Amino acid sequence: MENQYANEIWPLAIYFGMVIMLVVTMLALSWVLGQKRREAATNDPFESGVVSVGGSQIRISVEFYLVAIFFVIFDLETLFIFAWAVAFFELGWAGYLSITVFIGVLVLALVYQCRSGALEWGNKTRTGLREDQLTTGEST
Amino acid sequence: MNGSQMQALMPILMLSLTAIVLMIQASIKRDEKATWIITVVGILLALWGAGYARDFSQPVTILLQVDNWGLFFTALVLLASLVTVVLSQDSFSSEGGSKEEYYLLLVLSALGAVILIQSSHMASLLLGMELMGVALYAMIAFPKKGLLPLEAAVKYLVLSGCASAILLFGFALLYAATGELSYKGIGEKAALAYISNPLLVMAGTAMVTAGIAFKLSLVPFHMWTPDVYQGAPTPVTGFLATVSKGAVFVALARIYMDAELHQYESLILALSVLAAFSMLIGNLLALLQEDIKRLLAYSSIAHFGYLLIVLIALTGSEMASEAVTFYLAAYILTTLGAFTVIARVSREDQQKSQISEFEGLFWRNKIQATALTIAMLSFAGIPLTAGFMAKFFVINVAIQGSHWFLLSALVIGSAIGIYYYLRIIFSMSKTSGNDIGFRDRSGDITALLLTVLILMLGSWPQPFIAFAGGL
Amino acid sequence: MRELIGLIPLIPLLSSATLMLFAGHLSRFAIGLLGVGSVGIAAILTAKMGIDFLGNPEVFKVTLWTWMQVGTFSSDVAFYFDGLTLVMMSVITGVGFLIHLFSTEFMEEDVSYARYFAYLNMFVAAMLILVMADNLLLLYLGWEGVGVCSYLLVGFWYQNSANGYAARKAFIVTRIGDTLMALGLFLLFTELGTLDIQALGDAAKDKWQVGDSMPLIACLLILGGAVGKSAQLPLHTWLPDAMAGPTPVSALIHAATMVTAGVYLIARTHELYLFAPIAMIAVALVGLATSLMAAFTALTQHDIKRILAYSTISQIGYMFLALGVGAWTAGIFHLMTHAFFKALLFLGSGAIIHCLHHEHNIFKMGGLRTRMPVTFWSFMIGSAALAALPMTSGFFSKDQILLQAYQVDGIGPWLWFGGLVGALLTAVYSFRLVFVVFFGQVNTEPDKDTGWRMVIPLSLLCILAMMGGWIIIPVTQVFPLAVFEHPAHWVEYVSIAVPIVGVIIAYLIFLGGQLKVDVFTNSFVMQKLQQFWFSGWRIDWLYDQLLVRPYYGLARALKLEPVDNFYRLVVTISQTFNQWLSAGQSGQMRRYITSMVFGLIVLLAILVRAS
Repeated sequence: MENQYANEIWPLAIYFGMVIMLVVTMLALSWVLGQKRREAATNDPFESGVVSVGGSQIRISVEFYLVAIFFVIFDLETLFIFAWAVAFFELGWAGYLSITVFIGVLVLALVYQCRSGALEWGNKTRTGLREDQLTTGEST
Repeated sequence: MNGSQMQALMPILMLSLTAIVLMIQASIKRDEKATWIITVVGILLALWGAGYARDFSQPVTILLQVDNWGLFFTALVLLASLVTVVLSQDSFSSEGGSKEEYYLLLVLSALGAVILIQSSHMASLLLGMELMGVALYAMIAFPKKGLLPLEAAVKYLVLSGCASAILLFGFALLYAATGELSYKGIGEKAALAYISNPLLVMAGTAMVTAGIAFKLSLVPFHMWTPDVYQGAPTPVTGFLATVSKGAVFVALARIYMDAELHQYESLILALSVLAAFSMLIGNLLALLQEDIKRLLAYSSIAHFGYLLIVLIALTGSEMASEAVTFYLAAYILTTLGAFTVIARVSREDQQKSQISEFEGLFWRNKIQATALTIAMLSFAGIPLTAGFMAKFFVINVAIQGSHWFLLSALVIGSAIGIYYYLRIIFSMSKTSGNDIGFRDRSGDITALLLTVLILMLGSWPQPFIAFAGGL
Repeated sequence: MRELIGLIPLIPLLSSATLMLFAGHLSRFAIGLLGVGSVGIAAILTAKMGIDFLGNPEVFKVTLWTWMQVGTFSSDVAFYFDGLTLVMMSVITGVGFLIHLFSTEFMEEDVSYARYFAYLNMFVAAMLILVMADNLLLLYLGWEGVGVCSYLLVGFWYQNSANGYAARKAFIVTRIGDTLMALGLFLLFTELGTLDIQALGDAAKDKWQVGDSMPLIACLLILGGAVGKSAQLPLHTWLPDAMAGPTPVSALIHAATMVTAGVYLIARTHELYLFAPIAMIAVALVGLATSLMAAFTALTQHDIKRILAYSTISQIGYMFLALGVGAWTAGIFHLMTHAFFKALLFLGSGAIIHCLHHEHNIFKMGGLRTRMPVTFWSFMIGSAALAALPMTSGFFSKDQILLQAYQVDGIGPWLWFGGLVGALLTAVYSFRLVFVVFFGQVNTEPDKDTGWRMVIPLSLLCILAMMGGWIIIPVTQVFPLAVFEHPAHWVEYVSIAVPIVGVIIAYLIFLGGQLKVDVFTNSFVMQKLQQFWFSGWRIDWLYDQLLVRPYYGLARALKLEPVDNFYRLVVTISQTFNQWLSAGQSGQMRRYITSMVFGLIVLLAILVRAS
């Protein structure tokens, strides 16, 4: 048994060794061949030849993410409908019933989203909130 | 899928329906009171469904297995959800001041737990676990105030993601080895696969075990537990401790039994190591803890260590399945009792979960102080409480299976445990000077009912034992 | 009349209780009256009983009530009255009365006057119960009662911690013997099924053969009790220290009565000893060894009370010798005469101490012959009796013991010779005491003379010490008749001559100065020997090394609570682990993930290792 494992493992070990060697070689070469100058722009990131401006941690409005996530979710849901559509005749009425329920729930979710203001940009008109709680965009 | 199968799925259907109704209600007109009522009614309907489905026990497709044992835990999980709903009513407020979505999430999480309990397939297991987990992340982060809930949610999310990844990797390895994903299928093929390719089977098992151990917070996968317990709003902590952990343990037990994993001695050894470390380290960590929620987090680590003993001794004892049922029921009831009182005392204030906040509780609210006392005694395993009978079962099973090493860890752990459980009781009987009484009807009633259940299970367990034996 | 026997111990007991409860309300006169009067009444009652008994020598038993009944075991509070009881009761109440009377003067300046008499009366009651008891359990009650009283009285002046130490020592050392005796009682009960003294004798006749091992063990255990109470080797060390108590207490408890309880116990259970010849020889040898050891020690002491204390140990050794050789009557006879002359000597020394500002060192006394004539004559008579000069009471009793010892088969002459050496030493040390204290130059001037309450007891005891030898004690019914065959006349002549020689030696050394022994005593060997004897043969030192120090060491070790430390260690370990583990809960997610990965590796290692 032990030998068998040893046999299975040695290519892996060689591969591992080669990876390490490659990395070491590359680093060593760049260290040997590369220029060793320390100037003002040496440590700046390379941004397509343009000098970078501002910090890397900037605020992005949460609505971007919301929309992105909704797109992904609904995009995925259509995949299920696609899967049903290609086997429409094989699945028959039972499949039709199932996909109806599925699409129904999907529609309900969309309604809920709209009503709770998830798709609005800026001004929120979420249901159930009092007038003074409706924000005017800048605080979200 | 035929009609009888639909009837067997009644609790799941009821919970799904409740979720949809809640969504519709929220989109028509937001009203927290109405949402609360719908949630309670929905869970009650699901409870009824769990009773109704008993007559239709059967495998539903390859994914789910509806049987009495699962339905019992479904009912237990639904009961815990109900208590959480009651406790959440005026515990904390959401970002916008109302928390309709919270109840929606709670129902979804409970739905995930039920699926998890009834799953008989790795796919449904993952589906249930993720549904439950994702809803829980949001529930944990729900309160408006403070950074702790957010921190807790992020930690739980990230670590849980890691655990799920490990779990999935395990599934993949098992599938590679056996070509099956249903528990029974794996059980049938694994023995053969083990001979030809033991490495794959064992590596897969190890990763599945690790993924589940995370959810059960077994040492050394336990690190998230105190932070999450402390950061989450108290009702959610109670929900996490009972519903989430209980459902995952049931799923583990199912895998363990259906896939016939008890035949692998190395797995038993691995589980023994997890159990022993959980019992010892869990209790040691709780020893000097000043925050009662963190303390209960560590205590739950130890309790799942105790529970693992039953799983390890499964083949050696006829009592083992009853022991699992009894211990889990006792643990869930006791934890609910404890968190009911903690939730009522601390409300949404994070700072109020210090043990010192409970000083003089006996003079402030006798019923809740008594309930917490009984819960602590039950955790410690003092006779006449459910915890005693539960521990008695575990010790019995361990003796029958001759697991002396685990038994000694259990005894040492319990001995340490008594110290910190009693510390809470002492603290409650201390006068703090300004003991202003508070009245809290819903909390009192819940606490009282749970206390009665704990005492009944401990002092007159025979009917329940007979019932559990018939599952 | 016979029923009134219960009153004899009861009256001192009631008096004691009264004195304890109402001490603050009684005048000193009333206290004295109560303390002395109660013992006086007991003495009168005893005298009445004695006269009746001598007229009609009939043994009787009075059962007062059943004390306890457990299964087949039952014990009554019952008194047994025969000649032996009468002798003991007479000594206790008679001598006790005189000592009480003496005490009223001796203790008159003491603040705890009532407490003193309360203890002393309680002692008399307990001692009476001891000698009157019909069964060994009641006897044991009295036995422990006198032990407690002894403890209380030795430590009477408790303000001085040395006295408290002496009291504890007396109590603890005698307890060793008491424990042995209790074991003996248990053994007797399991073997013979009763503790009634008379019934024991009958049961022994049925069940035992002479020379069996069971009577030997039982008798040796009882001997253990007797040795403890009567300050015999090896449990004698408490008696010299017990001299810390008031001198009348030493006279009553540590000379006349309590220390002879061991003699009484063996005499009372002699029927059992007859089944164990080896135990009897043990009794004789213990007695002889003690007698010699104590005599040598007495020779070197210079504290007047310690001399008398060692003398007492030595004389009780004679009594044991008598019991061991079967001379029961002679033993009890010596017990009685010893009570007379030793009480006399102690009270005499008490008078000296009283008049000499509590001076105990005999070399700081001297020339008291003219200053304290009554005391001088008391001492002369007492010492003469102690030395067993002819015609004194001690002569009659000691002579009987020696002659009967001579007749024992085999070792008899040796016992006799040993006794003779003891007698010589006794004469030397007792007259050394007399010559040093009463002759020579006056070193300390007495500041007062003895009052009538001291003179009367001293005078009466003088008469008893002189004439006591003519009393015939009525114990013929109690003890088997000794086959007394008069030995060769030279034996008797030697026995008579030896004490006289001793007195002459003492005269020549300590008074006349004709015998120059300085060169001899100053030699290195003698100096060392003297030190050795002075320290009581270093037995205290030996016990200190063997028992007391290890015990203290153990106590010190336990004081640190080693068992608790173990549990404290558990706590410390738990807390340490708690701190280590809590430190791991840093709240940093990377650590949490590390832990998870570590766990996964462990799981993989465990699972994959086997495959």
